[in-house]
Amino acid sequence: MQYHSLGEFEELVLLAVAALHDEAYGVSIQESLAGKLSKNINISAIHVALKRMEDKGFVKSRFGGITEERGGRRKKYYVITAAGKHMLDSQYELRTALYKMIPKISFGR
Amino acid sequence: MNERPPKWPLLFLRWFCREDYVEEIEGDLTEIFHRRLHSPAKARRQFLWNVLKHFRPAFIRSINVKPRKNSTAMIRNYFKTSFRNLVRNKNYAFINITGLAIGIAVCTMIFVIIQFQTSFDTFHPKKDRAYRVLTAYRRADAANMLYGKNIPYPLPVALKTNFPAIEEVAPVYASHSDELLVVDANGATVKKFKEERGLFFTTPAFFNIFNFPLLAGSYAPLKDRNTVLLTKETAEKYFGNWQDAMGKTIKLQSGGFMFDHGTDVLKVSGILATIPANTDFQLKLVVSIGTSYIGTIMTEATNWGETTPDFSCYILMPPGASAGNLNQQLSAYAKKFQTPENKDSYIIQPVNEIHYDTQTGNYSNKTISHQLLNVLWLIAAFILAIACVNFINLSTAQAINRSKEIGVRKVLGSSRSQLQIKFIIETFLMVTIAVILAAGITLLALPSVNRLLELSVPFNIVVNPAIILFLLAITIAVTALAGFYPSVVLSRFNPVNVLKSKHAAGTSKGISLRRGLVVFQFIIAQALIIGTLIIVKQMDLFMNQPLGFDKDAIVTVPFRTDSLRIARLDYLKKQLLSTNGVQAVSFSSNTPVDESRDTWNPFSYNHSSKETGIYAITKFADDEYVPDYKLQLVAGRNLQKSSMVREFLVNESLVKSLGLKNPEDILNKSIGLWNNVMTAPVVGVLKDFNDRSFHHKPAPLIITTNVTMYNQAAIKLTTTNIASTMQSVKNIWEQTFPDFVFEYRFLDEKIESFYKQENQLAQLYKIFAGIAIFLSCLGLYGLASFMAAQRIKEVGIRKVLGASAANIVYLFSKEFIILITIAFVIATPIAWYYMHTWLQDYVYRIRISGWIFAAGGLAAIIIALATISFQAIRAALANPVKSLRTE
Repeated sequence: MQYHSLGEFEELVLLAVAALHDEAYGVSIQESLAGKLSKNINISAIHVALKRMEDKGFVKSRFGGITEERGGRRKKYYVITAAGKHMLDSQYELRTALYKMIPKISFGR
Repeated sequence: MNERPPKWPLLFLRWFCREDYVEEIEGDLTEIFHRRLHSPAKARRQFLWNVLKHFRPAFIRSINVKPRKNSTAMIRNYFKTSFRNLVRNKNYAFINITGLAIGIAVCTMIFVIIQFQTSFDTFHPKKDRAYRVLTAYRRADAANMLYGKNIPYPLPVALKTNFPAIEEVAPVYASHSDELLVVDANGATVKKFKEERGLFFTTPAFFNIFNFPLLAGSYAPLKDRNTVLLTKETAEKYFGNWQDAMGKTIKLQSGGFMFDHGTDVLKVSGILATIPANTDFQLKLVVSIGTSYIGTIMTEATNWGETTPDFSCYILMPPGASAGNLNQQLSAYAKKFQTPENKDSYIIQPVNEIHYDTQTGNYSNKTISHQLLNVLWLIAAFILAIACVNFINLSTAQAINRSKEIGVRKVLGSSRSQLQIKFIIETFLMVTIAVILAAGITLLALPSVNRLLELSVPFNIVVNPAIILFLLAITIAVTALAGFYPSVVLSRFNPVNVLKSKHAAGTSKGISLRRGLVVFQFIIAQALIIGTLIIVKQMDLFMNQPLGFDKDAIVTVPFRTDSLRIARLDYLKKQLLSTNGVQAVSFSSNTPVDESRDTWNPFSYNHSSKETGIYAITKFADDEYVPDYKLQLVAGRNLQKSSMVREFLVNESLVKSLGLKNPEDILNKSIGLWNNVMTAPVVGVLKDFNDRSFHHKPAPLIITTNVTMYNQAAIKLTTTNIASTMQSVKNIWEQTFPDFVFEYRFLDEKIESFYKQENQLAQLYKIFAGIAIFLSCLGLYGLASFMAAQRIKEVGIRKVLGASAANIVYLFSKEFIILITIAFVIATPIAWYYMHTWLQDYVYRIRISGWIFAAGGLAAIIIALATISFQAIRAALANPVKSLRTE
């Protein structure tokens, strides 16, 4: 199987998808990330990240219902796949493992 | 919530975005837009920005693998199957496309010719205000007013001084037969040129009216005498390079008179850019009008009776001025100068009508009537109609072969309108191929057509976008005309019937329509054949009708006289007569028929001081003239040798117009010419011969001797070794008159040129009739071959039951003969009516006899039978076993 990597921004989006569980679509992801990061993120960046991760198999999508404020267009909901969850887990493990290797003395008071 | 996202960014998004993403992206962007609506302007900006940010490769739809709608795939499929169908039915496609291509090529050709003809002198920015002044006069023997393009010499000056409203007045004199000498620094002649036409005398005002740009120099020097502008081509011919020509001098020996008036030295003060082909001013040299002997006469004359044929005047009116107003003033003004003999008036004609004025003519001698233009359009439409009819006939006839395909398509869910679109597309494909072929044919054939019609019509798609538009229009029109009916018929088939091979339904109707169309084609073809036969016969009459004088093997050589050369004429004659092959030599001013070069004079009769009001053609000729041309005398005797006006010969027409019963009555009565300057007795009466072209009856004629008026030698040759005789004539001529360019013309060729227009018309009709009959036969051939294929079983059964091959051929031919006969019955009166009207223009005309119609009809039947016989004979000879075995 082809090895897929996960970029930093993609990881953030993936985390948001996982966190928003079943309510994750473009605008909600943008809002939650913008709130957390307290900086403005363009919606196009989120779309790019979502499409890439969908290609890599980390998320899957389905269409939701029509709402008035979307001008008759459906929402596209994203959920994390098992592969995505696995990726997040291994990423988390890698980071904590590396984090633990930081010698405590360096930052001692 | 009534706020909507900005329209254009949204459309842009929908246009570039991948179809599977657009739903999500558009939805998200709209949602964001609505959330920001508390400040709408900002929301809009944001929306646009977001759209632009999405314009990146990941979201842009692929160019190559466009996800197509079903309908475009369908149309692509239509093109594919149409093309395959053409390839499979090569004969059918060939006949159809050839027919259409030829029809369209004829149309295109006529279009470019008409476009060229209607473009004459339309490139002058001030053309709407430019007018030509015409002389309006009335002849005693004609009821209508006549218009002449020549005007009295004093008129231009009078216009300028008495009509200050006129912006510009330009007198123009078109000279002819001028000799131009290029001289070196010492004044010695380096090169000699003769310009038959193209030397114009005028003033700078001419160039304020008409737009002929300069490459170098200026127009202004033309106001002084002895200056000349050369066109680029003329300058290159004379000096090799137009840049070198500026400031050089050339010598002019102006032509058009009997007497030599010496040479004028002209300074080249400007070079004109190439003169376009679509102007009636085919300038080569433009000389200031006061220059030379004739120029002096023109600019200084005060007598309103004096003029010369090619002296005319162009004016420029101020913007918004009315021509009618000026015409009234002009006719009032003209009264001042009218005398009992001369009641001429003047009228102005817009320049944009000149090219269509076949009556008055113009400097290029190229005019075309609106009537002829309409006839050309009509012929183009007819030929295109024939081609379309072929197409309709063949397509519907071929429907039987396509019925299975149509059935399957219908069963698979095609609607009628979809099938119609399919057949229209098939037609469109063929028409497009035909149009491309037609453009090629036009390109190849145009040079020969140009030569035939003496035109220089360009066919340049790049320069002339109208041609592209025309071809596009033709493509659409022909597709609609030829494609509509077959598409309706073909799409109407009932799939159950056609798939069960019961395709008889509905075809009987198609057959009667096809018959109707064949009749229509042959009406046009036969009418054209009959018309052509009549024109050709009329031409034959022009060429071979006895003229009343001898025109064979007579050569005319022009010369100009002065006192020195007159003295040499006798020597020249003696020399020529001693040459092997020369039978007789006569000096004269005109040949027996000379048309535009003839001079018409009023005369007085029987010592009266008043003129008779009759105009007679006046020719000056020596005593050899009558025997040389074999003119016949009905009374009296020939002229005696004399160098002065001593005796007159007249013709029967003149005797008749004077009201005398017998030709003998006029003998020894006196005739006075030129206000009785020349008065002499009549000594002989000539039998009427055709002293005018066959468009007119013989006119009254006066012939007398006067050596100073002779300007040509008529040399009668023996018919053997003409080339070597002409070589010796040339040698003698150049010895006697070393300072002339020797040129000669055969009389019969000259007479032929009087009928140039009829000749061209006859050629055109021959071509059109040929194409019409060819196209009709092409259709007939296709129809016959399909009939043969369709009736193969019938023929088989007939043969089994004992029919002979001849019976079968008869079976096939019978129907077509009936159709052509019907067409003949309809075509005959139409052709008779039009040709009868055409012939009314000629005084000498053929009788339209029955055999012309019979010949036309018979020719059509024979050609048609020859066309179908191949198919008929093949069907008749086929082995019935083969055709009946398969089911």
